[in-house]
Amino acid sequence: MITAVRVPASVDAAVDLAARGGWIMGGGTIVMPQVNTGAVGDIELISLRRAGLGGIQPDGGSVRIGAATTLAEVGEHAELGFLAAAVHAIAAPSIRNLATVGGNLFAPQPYGDFAACLLALDATVGIAGPAGPRQCPVDELFRTGPAAGELVTSVTVPLPPAGAWFFHKAMRRKLNSAAIVAVAAVVRTDGGVVTAARIALGGVAPRPVRAFAAERSLTGRPLDRAAVAAAGQAAQADIDPADDAYASAWYRRRVLPVHLRRALLADPPIG
Amino acid sequence: MPAQIVSLVVNGRSQEFIARPGSTLLGSLRDSLGLMAAKRGCAQGSCGTCTVLLDGAPVPSCLVAVETVDGRSVRTLEGVARDGRLDEVQSAFIDGFATQCGFCTAGMIMVAEALLDRDRDPSRADVVEAISGNVCRCTGYEPIVAAILEAARRRRDRAPGAAPAAAGAAPAAAGSTG
Repeated sequence: MITAVRVPASVDAAVDLAARGGWIMGGGTIVMPQVNTGAVGDIELISLRRAGLGGIQPDGGSVRIGAATTLAEVGEHAELGFLAAAVHAIAAPSIRNLATVGGNLFAPQPYGDFAACLLALDATVGIAGPAGPRQCPVDELFRTGPAAGELVTSVTVPLPPAGAWFFHKAMRRKLNSAAIVAVAAVVRTDGGVVTAARIALGGVAPRPVRAFAAERSLTGRPLDRAAVAAAGQAAQADIDPADDAYASAWYRRRVLPVHLRRALLADPPIG
Repeated sequence: MPAQIVSLVVNGRSQEFIARPGSTLLGSLRDSLGLMAAKRGCAQGSCGTCTVLLDGAPVPSCLVAVETVDGRSVRTLEGVARDGRLDEVQSAFIDGFATQCGFCTAGMIMVAEALLDRDRDPSRADVVEAISGNVCRCTGYEPIVAAILEAARRRRDRAPGAAPAAAGAAPAAAGSTG
């Protein structure tokens, strides 16, 4: 059972509390369902709601987002308009009013669509911990996880060039449903030819993954149906899907090329 | 450090109660303050029947550790009627048969209130997104969507200084669709 709920008023206070163990909690949309089962052992909750981790600040060609910023706030911010469609594909408005950018990094798959976006965007994560503050690429955070006692304080997102951002999430319903496959991508083109591609996939692996084989396949080719089909086949090597209540691993593999095409070529979905 | 005293402004009134660690805003509203409109449904944030407004924004109250919102303001269904008079959303739900068993109704009305507070003239798509976190097993949702759109229309018609119809045009007939 929960032994205490701490609401530190600063990052330093939060780090001190985290050193004693306990669950870091952003909006509570991941932690509280577990608490509500009554099956958790004796644990402290450390809420970051009042630790001064809010705020969205433009910073040159990037935007720095405090880790406790809610998905709703991101979805309404003028500088982050390109992410609005992705944010509105996540859960429902009331969940988005609680769920935080920092917390989404640790959402178990097939949740964590915003984390997939950050991976495609080559975001940098600000981390605070007993050894002091540090920055690391979001790729690295997904690979290694935070060290003991560390917590995420911010995410800095380089703004993609106009026309280079792509997002499509395949769901069982039109709203409020987890990803069967989520595709987030920054694809830069010159004269219609792909010069660089960062493609992140959600729902198809234990954590959001870069589709490296698909990226290599696309680079240097025109962004057309043939190239995207080839990339969709190449992407099979990038994924490690699992069965869950939303879709089977077999189905996710089967439809990944379709949703990659819908993401990158704006093919209208059926219906 | 076990229980804490938590203060909230609930439906405009200051309230204080003791919260044990692990208490949710939902549990506190129901068990400490006797406000039963918000319901226990899934405890996962999936069904929406616990939805209340936290500083005007709809949240699943079953997912809010109540200590983390100390001092903030909460609005529940009990705070919607004024002086015993149902508001436009409540009336439209009744008039439109948008409530059957009633289990989803408190949450549906609260998300509707939040929607209409920020958008006087929502589209159908806006309404559908607003209720996308609220499950209803009885109505098939259409009467609920229609009731919310009707409530918006009634509220626009009653609001002082409501924007008039286009100059020279006849006022829209009651019951006309937007």
